[in-house]
Amino acid sequence: QVSVLYFARSAELAGLRCETLSVPRQITSLQLWEEIVRVHPRLAVIRDQVVFAVRQEYVLLGDQLLVLQPGDEVAIIPPISGG
Amino acid sequence: MDESEDVPKDFIKLKSEKLSVDEVSELVISPYCGAVSLFIGTTRNNFEGKKVIHLEYEAYTSMAETEIKKICRDVRQKWPSVKHVAVHHRLGVVPVTEASVIIAVSSPHRAESLEAVTYCINTLKASVPIWKKEIYEDEYSWKENKECFWANSEK
Repeated sequence: QVSVLYFARSAELAGLRCETLSVPRQITSLQLWEEIVRVHPRLAVIRDQVVFAVRQEYVLLGDQLLVLQPGDEVAIIPPISGG
Repeated sequence: MDESEDVPKDFIKLKSEKLSVDEVSELVISPYCGAVSLFIGTTRNNFEGKKVIHLEYEAYTSMAETEIKKICRDVRQKWPSVKHVAVHHRLGVVPVTEASVIIAVSSPHRAESLEAVTYCINTLKASVPIWKKEIYEDEYSWKENKECFWANSEK
């Protein structure tokens, strides 16, 4: 069970800012994205623009294997625009 | 004179109230420094011919503070003579001409603080999880920094 956080455009598309999701303990970042899109299909349009932040470290969508612990924070990070 | 009393500090704040240039520059002033360099990012009133009414900022606050701390640490590695670094970023609604970000750096001589401020704002735009929405008269747009390291590489 991980906490998924949504920001900016991803929060608008998903319609919420945070939720708990049950995912396998070991999963690639791409598989994690696909799980999230299953729940929120409208997110599919931003697939090429987002990265994850897992435990506050950036992770690209791809083959990287994530080892998740219960309560871990996973954030959807659309292209940033600070400053 | 005992410079060990003036320990180098990072001052990082994300807040929704109006930012103050006086407050941020005073944070970094040090009797051992002859230079304070400042960057102020302000809200422009137009984008591609459209009138901007105001900006709205949101942040992944805990990670943004961590990423800004990393930038401060990098600054001190690259410019060891830098004394204090302050980064204040506004969240929520920022009206036109008001500041959305203020960065101040102090150092004994000017070259280091000038270069460090440039590095701070450029790296902030590339790596800190903060988002800006530009509100126009009849629509809005989530902006994307060209410095954002993943948005460009995946295109």
